[in-house]
Amino acid sequence: MLIVALLRCTDLRAEVDPLTGAVSRDPRTASLSAADAAALEHALRIADTWGGRVLALTAGGPEADGPLREALALGAEVRRVPLHSSYIEELAVDERSLAKLVVSALGENRPDLVLCADRSADRGTGALPAFVAHELGVVQAPGLVALQVEGDQLVAERRLDFGRRERMRVPLPAVCSVEGAGVRLRRASLPASLAAANATIPLVDVALPASPVRVVQARPTRPRPRHLPAPTGTSRERLLALTGALLSHEPPTVVGPVGAAEAADALLDFLVRHGYLSEARTGWAVP
Amino acid sequence: MSEAIPLTPISSYRGIGFDDRMDTVEFRVAERAHIVVDSDICRSCTTKACVTACPANLFAPTSDGGILFNYEQCFECGTCYQVCNSEGALSWTYPDGGYGVVFRQG
Amino acid sequence: MGAGPAGAAAALTAARAGASVVLLERGPFPGSKNVYGGVVYGRVLDEVLPRWWEEVPVQRWVTRRSTMVLTETQALTVDFRTVAWGEAPYNGCTTFRSDFDSWLAGKAVEAGAQLVTSTVATGLIREGGTVVGVRTDRPDGDLRAKVVIAADGVNSFLAKELGLLPSTDAAHLTLGVKEVLSLPREVIDERFGVRGDEGVDVEILGCTRGIPGGGFVYTNKETVSVGVVVSLEHLTAAKVRPEELIADLKAHPAIAPWVRGAEVKEYAAHLIPEGGYDHFPTLHADGLLVAGDAAGMCLAAGIWLEGVNFAIGSGLAAGRAAAAAAQTGADLASYRKDLESTFVLQDHKRLRKAPGLVLSPRVQGQYPGLIADLVEGMFTVTNPTPKPGVVRLLRAAANKHGVKLRHLAVDALAGGRTFR
Ligand SMILES: Cc1cc2nc3c(=O)[nH]c(=O)nc-3n(C[C@H](O)[C@H](O)[C@H](O)COP(=O)(O)OP(=O)(O)OC[C@H]3O[C@@H](n4cnc5c(N)ncnc54)[C@H](O)[C@@H]3O)c2cc1C
Ligand code: SF4
Ligand code: SF4
Repeated sequence: MLIVALLRCTDLRAEVDPLTGAVSRDPRTASLSAADAAALEHALRIADTWGGRVLALTAGGPEADGPLREALALGAEVRRVPLHSSYIEELAVDERSLAKLVVSALGENRPDLVLCADRSADRGTGALPAFVAHELGVVQAPGLVALQVEGDQLVAERRLDFGRRERMRVPLPAVCSVEGAGVRLRRASLPASLAAANATIPLVDVALPASPVRVVQARPTRPRPRHLPAPTGTSRERLLALTGALLSHEPPTVVGPVGAAEAADALLDFLVRHGYLSEARTGWAVP
Repeated sequence: MSEAIPLTPISSYRGIGFDDRMDTVEFRVAERAHIVVDSDICRSCTTKACVTACPANLFAPTSDGGILFNYEQCFECGTCYQVCNSEGALSWTYPDGGYGVVFRQG
Repeated sequence: MGAGPAGAAAALTAARAGASVVLLERGPFPGSKNVYGGVVYGRVLDEVLPRWWEEVPVQRWVTRRSTMVLTETQALTVDFRTVAWGEAPYNGCTTFRSDFDSWLAGKAVEAGAQLVTSTVATGLIREGGTVVGVRTDRPDGDLRAKVVIAADGVNSFLAKELGLLPSTDAAHLTLGVKEVLSLPREVIDERFGVRGDEGVDVEILGCTRGIPGGGFVYTNKETVSVGVVVSLEHLTAAKVRPEELIADLKAHPAIAPWVRGAEVKEYAAHLIPEGGYDHFPTLHADGLLVAGDAAGMCLAAGIWLEGVNFAIGSGLAAGRAAAAAAQTGADLASYRKDLESTFVLQDHKRLRKAPGLVLSPRVQGQYPGLIADLVEGMFTVTNPTPKPGVVRLLRAAANKHGVKLRHLAVDALAGGRTFR
């Protein structure tokens, strides 16, 4: 029996520059989110009971190797599909091609069960499990808060509205995506950690299938804040400067009456002038 | 127009609030509390040294003279057990490996 | 034990000597638990990592060093800058501990040491009187070793377990709190009068409301570190919250223009051992060596705040001694001899009186005001009254701050002897 834990290893406290919106991620703190850790723990528990093997698989850059070594020390086999790891390049990978990628990385090994986090901590569309289930042609159980083996059955639980819970039997093969609840990842023993410390993580080199999504530009959705010098002068002067009282104003611009196209152009110009849109307006066209 | 009324600056408001200050630090919270305070012993403590000294401000005096302690946002610096007034009030250990504070700059 | 500078340096020399080394760290990566002010003096690495300056994760090279004396409204600065510190082999650099410790531990791993992170050493394994390994908090976590090097920092529970360190010692510890403030690079360059990779190191006396201690301001690439270091004993007695002292410092008229508009990026706190030479523990036991802050080897005396270089120095020696002991059964006592022949113990011995002197009530509470008033008197133009003579000014200032000239002379002499 093969259980695959699909993991995402990322910096859970990425820094976002408030001025430029640039995201910087620290490879040293790449780790599993609570949900990813729960997925791995479920995989290990189920494999313990049913005597299966666990394959921890991730698609990402070398920063994922740390968490993968931890998984190795816990007794899982590990594989990494090397992938661009810059934020912008990652954004450009949509879930469907990612799902195709991981399924092709599994090759001939058809898993009996795929476990993953319900949604990733940093991108979080939550669509990947569905696409993986589709690619494998198996059933999917999303949003699980508990997952247990009962005899030869897999019983899952998920939260519904009004505090209700739903319990269901999951027929295998299946893709189960779990929330970071109920279980905590076990710790690897010291000898196993020592053995895994310098292990090289095997790579599976499969090409990323072409994706219909193309990201042209990524930036904050807010207007760019301006760099304002710290205020000077008395509080009264500052109040005046802030409220603009006693100052002459630019009168409101009257553009009309004009046709719809010119009005739209005037609006767009206004938005560009105030930083809500970038100059390269063509960048927003759908390719 | 009337003369400007001079505004008195609020001198105690300086920089950022304490919660915002603590929000700048990453804490990976473990399930096990690595520091446990025995509030019964604290009730008879006269100095309450930990309350002002703890740089993370984690010791809150309670109305009955005891101490309410939260371990989650601790720097693991050791100040509290070093200044503690009463033997046995604090049991202090490091959090389990990998948990606790993570300094990005340090 | 502990992948700080001491532990990483020990692992480096021990692994290079061919020993089998495990470097254990409780944080998720080396440096994640560590805090310091901001300057590493790297020359100690010359012998093991020649041209270390080409790879060290530097923020800025310190080419300007100021010592400031503050009172509430005054500031006196002695400012030194040299081009020499901005060229190889350099003097000191500002860097972040998460970067520096990771880098140094990486060097140890390259030399063959095995780094295990996220693992706490919870105790020593002893047989008879001899240390034969450590317990860790991982399942199946006992690790046996011929030599254990306790480089687990200021709270060293390993050294405490053997009774080498007292379990509490607030009198010889100081608390350091610091803020990393972010500012655009050009703004830092402009405000501190530097360019390119040049950086500034400012040590400050008299900014801690009379609590024995001091403050510092260091420049990084796009951040400035501001912090204070205060005596634990007196901090608690004064009932002042530590972050208030940073706020004081940042609001001081001499400091505020530097940090105006900056945003706090990280707040941090850590203890520092300040006992100096006279309070070092025994540096070795059967099967165990103590290095770095665990052995109190931080030189924190007023205008000096050096610990990383001493930690590295002692770590390098500990690694050598441990490897020799493991391979040929040599005596661990060679560690202390080795240290005595290097700057580690020599500097500490020479400056053994410095912590007491610099942290004394007069130096902390009275002299800053006295010196500042004296200088203010000298440079205040009092026309039409004629200028007062320096002696009269000194008397007046001493009187105002309750200092007897006799004490001044005694302290000057003691200072001369200590820093000779
Ligand atoms: C506010 C402040 C400012 C300072 N400024 C400067 C400065 O500007 N320049 C300078 O040179 N020095 C400075 N120092 C001093 C310097 O930081 C220390 O002297 C130096 O870090 C000591 O290194 P170390 O390796 O001995 O200990 P540490 O750096 O404390 O390393 C100990 C390591 O051991 C690990 N550890 C601890 N216990 C265990 C355990 N049980 N199991 C596993 N791992 C464990 C810790 O996680 C840590 O990584 C400053 C210190 C402070 C607090
Ligand atoms: S100093 Fe110690 S005994 Fe006193 S209140 Fe604090 S923890 Fe309790
Ligand atoms: S270790 Fe430091 S931060 Fe943590 S509770 Fe004690 S004093 Fe506060």
